[in-house]
Amino acid sequence: MAKQLLSFTVNGEPVEVLVQPYVTLLDALREDLGLTGPKEGCGTGDCGACSIHLDGQLVASCLVLAMQARGRSVTTIEGLARGGTLTPLQDAFVRRGVAQCGFCIPGVLMAAAALLAENARPSEDDIRYAIAGNLCRCTGYTKMIEAISEAAGMAPRTAAGVKG
Amino acid sequence: MATVMKTTRDVKGVGLSIPRPDGPEKVTGKVQYVADIQPRGLLHAKLLRSPHAHARITRIDTSRAKALAGVRAVLTAADMPYLKKKAPTRAHAVLAIDRVVFAGQPVAAVAADEVAIAEEALDLIDVEYEVLPAAVDPLEAMKPGAPPVAEAGTEADTSEAQAHGSVSGVAAVAKPAKAVNISQQAKLARGDVAKGFAESEVIIEKTYRVPMVHQGYLEPHAVLAQWDMTGQLTLWASTQGSFNTRSEVADVLEIAENRIKVIPVECGGGFGGKIRALCEPVTAELARVTGRPVRYVMTRREELVAGMPAPQVIIRLKSGVKRDGTLMALEGEIIIESGAFSGAVLAVGAVFLASLYKWPAFEVRGFEVLTHKPSIAAYRAPVAPHTIYAIDSHMDQIADAIGQDPVAFRLRHVQREGDPMANNQPWQSNAAYEVLERLAQHPAWKAREEWKRSAPAGRLRGTGLSLGGWLGGLQPTGATVRLNPDGSLSVLTGQVDIAGTNIALAQIAATAYGIDIDKVKITTGDTDVAPMTGLSAGSKTVYTVGAAVLQAAQDARRQTLEIAAKELEAAVQDLEIEDGKVVVRGVPDKGVTIASVGRKGNLYMSKVPPVLGVANPAFTQQAPAFAGQLARIEIDPDTGEVTLHQFVVAQDVGKAINPLACEGQMQGGAVQSLGIALTEGLMYDDKGRLMNPSLLDYRKLTAADLPNIECIILEKPSPAGPFGARGVGEPPIVPAPAAIANAIEDAAGVRLTELPMTPEKIALAIAKS
Repeated sequence: MAKQLLSFTVNGEPVEVLVQPYVTLLDALREDLGLTGPKEGCGTGDCGACSIHLDGQLVASCLVLAMQARGRSVTTIEGLARGGTLTPLQDAFVRRGVAQCGFCIPGVLMAAAALLAENARPSEDDIRYAIAGNLCRCTGYTKMIEAISEAAGMAPRTAAGVKG
Repeated sequence: MATVMKTTRDVKGVGLSIPRPDGPEKVTGKVQYVADIQPRGLLHAKLLRSPHAHARITRIDTSRAKALAGVRAVLTAADMPYLKKKAPTRAHAVLAIDRVVFAGQPVAAVAADEVAIAEEALDLIDVEYEVLPAAVDPLEAMKPGAPPVAEAGTEADTSEAQAHGSVSGVAAVAKPAKAVNISQQAKLARGDVAKGFAESEVIIEKTYRVPMVHQGYLEPHAVLAQWDMTGQLTLWASTQGSFNTRSEVADVLEIAENRIKVIPVECGGGFGGKIRALCEPVTAELARVTGRPVRYVMTRREELVAGMPAPQVIIRLKSGVKRDGTLMALEGEIIIESGAFSGAVLAVGAVFLASLYKWPAFEVRGFEVLTHKPSIAAYRAPVAPHTIYAIDSHMDQIADAIGQDPVAFRLRHVQREGDPMANNQPWQSNAAYEVLERLAQHPAWKAREEWKRSAPAGRLRGTGLSLGGWLGGLQPTGATVRLNPDGSLSVLTGQVDIAGTNIALAQIAATAYGIDIDKVKITTGDTDVAPMTGLSAGSKTVYTVGAAVLQAAQDARRQTLEIAAKELEAAVQDLEIEDGKVVVRGVPDKGVTIASVGRKGNLYMSKVPPVLGVANPAFTQQAPAFAGQLARIEIDPDTGEVTLHQFVVAQDVGKAINPLACEGQMQGGAVQSLGIALTEGLMYDDKGRLMNPSLLDYRKLTAADLPNIECIILEKPSPAGPFGARGVGEPPIVPAPAAIANAIEDAAGVRLTELPMTPEKIALAIAKS
């Protein structure tokens, strides 16, 4: 099959890349553009590890064909922090020691960022629902919920290096 | 991205909740896992897997696949003459030779320019099978006349037990004639069981069943292999133990271990499923025949169909007690379904059954049974959630039958330090008693009657708890601590850091040497450069590697002080390390900086040796660790749906080197335990084919299913662990199935003896009662 030209915006930059028409957006990002932050945990849209924003909407990039992104704007985990500074959400994840193996974290952060963009003051239930499409096997989700609450200004800031 | 980890200036190390230093890498998507590495000339591998659980291969034709453009290699067993027909382990069964013994077993392998081409090539491989009867149910498989799984019996493989806290003193038993699929047996007995039952006033007998579950790590198995012109193999592996991977691959491929370099890439979760080699040998072979780097990444479906799940376990328990609560006799049988290859921790399971409580007379028999299913591996405290589910479900029912408080009944009988385990080894120091006692002080336990009464109309509420633990693994290990010319420390081990153990190891080094944590860098080296290091398994990383790092840091400190002592003309015992300086105690202005000691170790023509702390300890003393869990639930009796309102984990960690990381282990382990309890199970049809090979049908718990997990950390120091630490990882996966079953009985008066306790099972049990 002949490759097709995909022109779209990725993390704020215009990008052109030749892709096979059957390639998923996840594969195009990972294999052709070197953006390996989105992960493939299942390839069937069940685990959320490949979550990205497509025109601001949270999508599982393993369920989107690359050519469907033509002319649209994609944000991956690599584009969440601009200018070398972590977002408050990422910062809270770091300080609260959320990540263990870390494989699910990019997807969880994209889901949480989408939530906070829509709802600046989410309840705990809102947060649990918002990341229910993201499977995590290491953390039991508790520290994620706390970190997202903190980033939304709902929970007190926890300083690093303090016992307890 | 230049993100600098900030810690408070007065940090020394042990006991502080310091976030892991690679956090910024993990929240920005920068961390590289195997599937993220893309060398030039990369080829992609795919495996053709058997659709049948048991079949003879009568013909394989790969000619059409080989002719496809973009295909670089197609392999079958015929291309690998060193493969043994009687494979001693799953890793050795790289490709099926003439028979397949589970659905999903690899039959042929392809390397191609693109994944899509490799997939297309699989469709072009023609395989003819003669389908044979399959042994699917372990209870049927252990009967004489069942379809045999191993051609002439696989050798029992107990290396898994060694990795996870081995036990001794278990009698091996010869198998009954013609029971061809019984691959291991064990028997433990003490006292007069018949007399004990004859004198019992209450006897309870139940059979508990736990299906196969998958470890569920989010990153599927992945490996990248590349050979150089001199015959050296490099493997970028997602593994829990790079040295173990090296040994297994060397053994399978019949090459020297020092010709293989295993680079442990960031591991996206393992939980026991990434201890043994799986796809590494075939990927290495594809890389050898193509002369190109080859990457193989399993799909989720392949993981579920043909991974190495935890075994199905069937436990029958019969116990007799007096009405006053005196324990009389216990009879137990544990059947562990190991799939197509032997390797279950049978002895550990059998010992656990009769070791938690003080049974004066017991007889436990254990059987490992082979079936035509994927062979099993460890899953975080292997078989302990299963045994504790049976034991602590049973203890609750006994207490209920004789009208005693379930906690007081357990506390009266729980084994303590020095009491004999079922294999007559004495229990090492542990806090089983204290953990249960502490959990029972929780307001949610004290107010369980109020909780029950508070149920809204049409709902049932209940509370349950359970106590479980793990003996703790041991493995020799090495570590080095190097003083750099600027006074910073470099710690080197081969330990794969999955959960955040490296920060704990760095904290140990900082405290042992006497330096700020900011000055310590820890590196996980590959198998060419790192000291030999064991598995990230068995809850033993901090306990054993931590001990090695502690000793190496003490060694580096001693060397530093000796060098400084000469310069200061003082005795070593009068020296202290304070604020980056070696000072004479009581004479604060007399000292030399650590940096100057480090610098002299690297100066041209210097006569001062470089400081290099080295430790390579082996271990003999295990440190058992216990966790108790408490669940407050609500049930909709019409649908059987369980809502978790509160979940508490109390755990003895010995010493919380990093409380934040301890909590992460406790919370994550608890949710895995709850998954085993409530939703997870690999379901097979009567032909041995998996019926739920996707994450939609293999249901893991999500954030929406759970409350926040509350943690209570207890610290009863272990006698031999670094700063008294015990293993933390495994205990929290153990108690939830029994805690939930006990809570369901409290709420609804029904006893669930089969996991997972799905809404369907609960609703049916309630409807029947």
